[in-house]
Amino acid sequence: MQLLRFLLLALLLLIPLPAFGYDVLVLQSLHEKGYEEAVNGFKRECRASMRRVVLSEYAEADVTRITREEHPKLIVAVGDRALALAQKQNSTPVLYMMVLNPKPRRWATGVSMLLDPSRYLSVFEALGSQKVGVVYDPSRSGAYLKRAQAVAARSRVDLVLREVRAAKETPGVLQSLRGKVDALWMLPDATAVSPGATEAYFLFSQGERVPVVTFADVYLTMGGAVALTIDRFDIGRQLGGMAQSVLEGKPVEEIPPEHPRRAIIKSNDGVVRQLKLSSVTGR
Amino acid sequence: MKKRVKRKFRLSPFTKSFRVRLYLIFTGTIALLTAAFVTFYVLTEINAYRSTLEREGRLLATILSQNARLPLFAENREALSALAEGTSRQSSVVSVLIIDQQGRVAAEARKVEIPQGETVKMEVEITSPSSVLSPESVLLGHQETDKQRVIGRVHLLLDMSAVRERLVNLVAASLAIGTLFWVAVSLLSYQVLKRVTSSFNMLMGGIEEIGSGKLSARVDLEGDDELARAANAINAMAASLELRELENLALQEELLKAMKLEVQEEKKLVMARLIQTNKMTSLGLLLSSMAHEINNPNASIRFSGYMIGKVWSDAVPLLDRVREEEGDFYLGGVPFEKARQAMADNAGKIVENSERIARVVQGLRDYGVGGDAHLHQKLELNAAVSAALSVLACQIKKDVQLKTSLGAGIPVIPGSQSQIEQVLINLILNAMQALDDGEGEVHLTTRHDAHNGEVVVEVSDNGVGIKPETMEHLFEPFYSTKLDRGGSGLGLYISQYIVVEHGGRLQLTSAPGKGTMARVVLPTAHAASVRGMVSAQNGQHAADALHQVG
Repeated sequence: MQLLRFLLLALLLLIPLPAFGYDVLVLQSLHEKGYEEAVNGFKRECRASMRRVVLSEYAEADVTRITREEHPKLIVAVGDRALALAQKQNSTPVLYMMVLNPKPRRWATGVSMLLDPSRYLSVFEALGSQKVGVVYDPSRSGAYLKRAQAVAARSRVDLVLREVRAAKETPGVLQSLRGKVDALWMLPDATAVSPGATEAYFLFSQGERVPVVTFADVYLTMGGAVALTIDRFDIGRQLGGMAQSVLEGKPVEEIPPEHPRRAIIKSNDGVVRQLKLSSVTGR
Repeated sequence: MKKRVKRKFRLSPFTKSFRVRLYLIFTGTIALLTAAFVTFYVLTEINAYRSTLEREGRLLATILSQNARLPLFAENREALSALAEGTSRQSSVVSVLIIDQQGRVAAEARKVEIPQGETVKMEVEITSPSSVLSPESVLLGHQETDKQRVIGRVHLLLDMSAVRERLVNLVAASLAIGTLFWVAVSLLSYQVLKRVTSSFNMLMGGIEEIGSGKLSARVDLEGDDELARAANAINAMAASLELRELENLALQEELLKAMKLEVQEEKKLVMARLIQTNKMTSLGLLLSSMAHEINNPNASIRFSGYMIGKVWSDAVPLLDRVREEEGDFYLGGVPFEKARQAMADNAGKIVENSERIARVVQGLRDYGVGGDAHLHQKLELNAAVSAALSVLACQIKKDVQLKTSLGAGIPVIPGSQSQIEQVLINLILNAMQALDDGEGEVHLTTRHDAHNGEVVVEVSDNGVGIKPETMEHLFEPFYSTKLDRGGSGLGLYISQYIVVEHGGRLQLTSAPGKGTMARVVLPTAHAASVRGMVSAQNGQHAADALHQVG
């Protein structure tokens, strides 16, 4: 039995891998509904041949070897782990999606999971909120907030920022915003919006009678007023367009990272009615 | 000792009353039910109160855990202490303890005065909301899970001394209400029982009165219920008993009268029999006397007749010579020629009739005196028949045809001839008395049954016969269908006795209207000792088939 195993292993190692003729290597962190939706969108938009590798199925995937032996023209990383693994090689351009806080290198670009700040600010404007409180972790959302501040400077919305370094600081920091803001902006920041502190946003909203604009409709059931959610299938399609450009010869460096182009606005009508807000749905 | 105890607990007569027993059962049952209800109520209330207190405590702990979730997450000890202080001010809370996930005390509050009594510890987990996910998970579209993350615990110590106070109050109130209820229901039930059992008591009173013998008493109950129906039934029964008693009294009176009459009749019969017996006794004495008085002159007459005959025989030759010499002459108005023979005949008749008188008298004497010395005598059956007929010669009426058929060769048997004669006289008299209007035939037959070793004499008549119901009593002493005609009721009884004493049997065969046959059968067992055969006597020959007695 042992001998049979040894012979099979030797056969696999000695026989050269067959040359797969595909253009795109899709590295997917794990089997996840959101990832699947995005990949489906990608496949819908990009008709190139591709091979998909789900990393959770392997103990340790050697992407460098795969790219060296299979020579894909493009690597599409789906998820943070896939992006980190894809950036370990430098021979093949990388496109990413479904990454919360991407830190792309020179030959990597993609579509983030964060909507453009202008979309949120336009919602605040529509709600009539001028002072919008934001709690964030600079290490996670610092760059996003800088862009948001830049956009806010051109609008009537004034962002009142509060930094947190740990999740347990969030309730206390929120207390410091009492009477100082007209609305709360809940960012997809794992430090600022931890499971233990999430409730604090809505308690604050209830106590101060200010709306919470959040990034997922799941928070609407907890007391959020408006949610701007991403469309994962459309993100896939958006990245598919990028991939198509890269495959057609456009250098990755020339393609800047993009925010999701499509946002879905939902609101909790009960909260909107109680807070006497104007409806923003349908935008 | 046991007897003493039993006597001690024996129910008094008062408690044997149906009403009192029912009342005791009712009140006892109500008391038990009330006690059970009170116990059940108190236990239920106490458990409910305890559950309420525990639920309140758990609710307080849950509210505290909910309120403490964010301060505990933010490690805001001031806020946690304020929450703990606020909760500890609740009356039922003794102490509050909030600890974090690592078991460290985050806040603690305790009452200054710790109550002495029962306490309950309450522990509730502080959990993060299950529906809250991390931002990344939310963006990836993860579904909510039921898994809650425990971030700390709330410990409450609850004061349960209020339970004891409530228990005391409940028991007191329940006992008071239960006692009042019991008293009220007992009084009500007594009134109801009194009303219900009044009819029963009336019924019982009536039954006891009737049972004591006063059958004219009645139960005066009206209505159509069971008791009224029972009273009606008892009244009907008492009326029936009363009627039966009256009938019994009437029957008793009738019975007494009948018994008196019967005794009188019996007395008359007995007296008649006694008189008859006395007559018979007197007759026996009379016969003896008569025999003596007749025998003396009769002997003289016979002697005289003999002497007359003797003298006449001596006188005849002399008188013949006188007639030859002097011619015929008269004696007593009759020519000597006729008187010569008539005188001899008359003298012979005197002797003969005198001897006959002597035999008759001897027969009467033997009949009257009797005796058992004759058992060792020799009995000639045909002679006995002749003797009986000679005794009855004067009794036989001219309308009665007496026919005898005496058998030849009948052996002499041991026995009393006079007693057998008496038997035959009784049977012949009965036969003659049985003849319708005294007219008819009486047959006397004797024979020897050598095969069976018996001698038989049969007396048969063609009279009225004997009824079957009379046949059963024929051999009873003093039973007679002719008591009014001088019958003693002893004839057949004595006859059977005599025949049985001779080892024989007396048989009667009869049918109404067809006559009766009496058969006397005597054994010849001892005939061997009596040698010699006797021929027919007194002019009766064996060849005489019929011997008519005129």
